[in-house]
Amino acid sequence: MTLPTIKALAISEQVTVVPRKRWFHHAKGRQAALINVALILGSITMLVPFLWMVLTSLKSPAELAQFPPTFLPQEWMFSNYAATLDAAPFGLYFRNSFVIATTHTLITVVLGSMAGYALARIYFKGREAIFLAFIAMLMIPTYTKIVPQFLLVKFMPLFGGNDILGQGGSGWLDTWWALIIPGGLSASAIFLFRQFYLSLPKDLEEAARIDGLGEFRIFSQIYTPLIKPAIATVGLLTFQESWNNFLWPLLVTTSSDLRVIQVGLAVFQQLDNTQWQYLMAGTTMATVPMVVLFIFAQKYFIQGFTNAGIK
Amino acid sequence: MTTTERHPIRSAEAAAKQVSPSTAPKKRKRISTAEKKRRRAGWLMITPSVIHVGLWTLIPVIATFYLSFTDYGIFAAPKWIWFDNYVEMFNDAVFMQSIGNTVWYTFWTVPVSMAVAVVVAVLLNQGLKLQKFYRTAFFLPQVTATVAIAMVWLWIFNPQYGLLNAMLETLGLPGQAWLVDPQWALPAVILVGAWQGIGIKMLIYIAALQNIDESLYEAASLDGASSIRKFFSITVPMLKPATFFVFIISIIGAFQVFDQIYVLTDGGPANATTMMTYEVYRSAFQEFRMGMASAQSVVLFAFLLFVTLISRRVTKEED
Repeated sequence: MTLPTIKALAISEQVTVVPRKRWFHHAKGRQAALINVALILGSITMLVPFLWMVLTSLKSPAELAQFPPTFLPQEWMFSNYAATLDAAPFGLYFRNSFVIATTHTLITVVLGSMAGYALARIYFKGREAIFLAFIAMLMIPTYTKIVPQFLLVKFMPLFGGNDILGQGGSGWLDTWWALIIPGGLSASAIFLFRQFYLSLPKDLEEAARIDGLGEFRIFSQIYTPLIKPAIATVGLLTFQESWNNFLWPLLVTTSSDLRVIQVGLAVFQQLDNTQWQYLMAGTTMATVPMVVLFIFAQKYFIQGFTNAGIK
Repeated sequence: MTTTERHPIRSAEAAAKQVSPSTAPKKRKRISTAEKKRRRAGWLMITPSVIHVGLWTLIPVIATFYLSFTDYGIFAAPKWIWFDNYVEMFNDAVFMQSIGNTVWYTFWTVPVSMAVAVVVAVLLNQGLKLQKFYRTAFFLPQVTATVAIAMVWLWIFNPQYGLLNAMLETLGLPGQAWLVDPQWALPAVILVGAWQGIGIKMLIYIAALQNIDESLYEAASLDGASSIRKFFSITVPMLKPATFFVFIISIIGAFQVFDQIYVLTDGGPANATTMMTYEVYRSAFQEFRMGMASAQSVVLFAFLLFVTLISRRVTKEED
C-alpha cells in the first residue's frame, strides 16, 4: 500500500462533521438584539482592561496624573515605547522568553509525541505501569514539587561549581539549564499525544509493517503526519504556558541577562511603580505575541483547552 | 476509549502465543524477533520522558513528603523533627488565615465565573453573527499571562488615578483604596480571578452544549415551552456532567492562585490576601525554611486530593 492511500484511509475514518446545534431556530429579532446587547456589554468588560493598557501606554505622565482620567490620550506618545526599552531591557527579556518558549515547545513535541506513540501503539512490558504513573503525575499540583525542584536545580552535581555530591556551588541556578530543562516536558502533553495516536486506525501500522517499515519510520512517516493538528494544539499550549510562566523563572534566575518577560515586568514594577506609561508599554509588549498567536490559531487553542481541561 | 482499543497489540500477541511451538515453530520465531524489535523501539521512545518525569515530578513529590518532616534550611542537612512543622503550621495564625483566604477566594471566584460562563456559552450557542468576536473577547484573558493582566488591574485599582474609582465616581459611588484597604483587597483580588477565569469555563460549556440533542428543544418548542423554561428544564440538566467537570478543575485552579497575588498585593495588607501558595513561597524562598514550606505544600496537596477524590466518587455514582 502506498502512503497516499494509507493517509486517505486514516482521514476517512477520522473526520466526523458535527452540525452546530441551536436551541431555537427562529430567534425573534428583538430577542436576538437583546442577546447581542448583553454579549457586547460582556465583551466590553472583558476587553476594557486590554484597551486601557494600550491607551495608558500612550499617555504622557502629566495626563496620567489627572483625575478623573481621560479616555483617549490627549497627545499620542508613541515615544513611550522607545523610552520603555531604554528604561529596562525588555527586548532582551522578550528574546529570553521567546527562546525558552520555543525550546520547550520543541522538546515537548519531539519527546512527548514519541512517548505518546509508544504508549498508544506499541506493546511492551511495563507499558501499563508507566502509563498509570504518568496519569498519577498529571494530578500533582505545581506547589507539591516546587521546593524539591528548586533544590534539585541548586544541587545539580558538577554544575556551577558543585562537586559530584552537588555541594559547594550554585548548580543550575541562574543558568539556561534551569530555565529550559525542568519545564521542558509535561505529563499532560504526553497524555494528550497518547490520546491522539490512539484515535488512529490500526490498519496503517499493519500495512506499513508488511511493507517492512521499522517502528521509528511508522511513527515519523505515517502516524505523526496524521496528527499535525494535534501537534499544533499541544505546541501552542506549551508555548503559551511557557511564555506566561512566572514563578519558576522568578525562583531560579537572579541576573538580568536571564530574565524572562513576565519576571522583567514584575521587577520593573517594583523598581519604579510610578511610571505607569512605561509599565503599561512593557505589559503591552508582553501581551501582544500571545494575543496575535491566539487570534490566528484560535481553532487549535480551543481544541487544546477543551481537550486538556485538566491543567 | 474502550479496552479493546487500549490493548490492540497485547491481544495480537496473546493470539500469537497460542500457536503451539510444535505446529508452527518457524513462524513463531519470526514474530518474536519482530516483536522484540518493536518492544525495544517502544522503550527507546519512552525512556527520555520517563527520565524527565521521574526526575522532575516523581522524585520531587516523594522529597516533599520527606522534607515536610524535617527542619531544613538548605545550608545544613535536613534534620528529622517528626510532626513539628505540622504542629507549628496549624498554630500559625497567618497560615490559618491563608487557608481561610484561599477557601474564600475559591468560594467566590468559582461560582461567579461559572454562572457567567454558562450564560455566555448558551447565548453564544445560537449562531450569532458576531459569535467569533464574542468568544475571542471572553477567552482573551485566559491566554494572556496572569502577571501582565494583574499589572493592568493594578493600574485600574489605583486609588488616586485608577479607572475603577473614576467609574464609581460617575455613578455617584465612593471610590476605595482597593488593594491597600484590608477590607477591600480580597474582594478586589477575587474580582480579577473571576474575570480571568470565565473563558475556559465558557469553552467547556460550549463544547458540552454542542452535544445536546437538538430534538429535545424541538419537542419542547412543540409543547410551547419558553426559552427560559427550556434553559432550566433541558440545558441545565444536560450540562450537569460538564458543570461537574468545570467545577472540579476550577477549584483546583483557584486553590493554586499565586501570580496575581504576587503582583497585586504581595499577600497584604495585613495578610488579608495571603494564600496557601503564597505562604509556601514565603516559607521556602524568603525565610528559607524548606521543611516548613514542604509541610505547607503537603496540606495544599491534601486539599486538592480531597477535591479530586470526592469528584471521583460523585462521578462514579452518576454512572
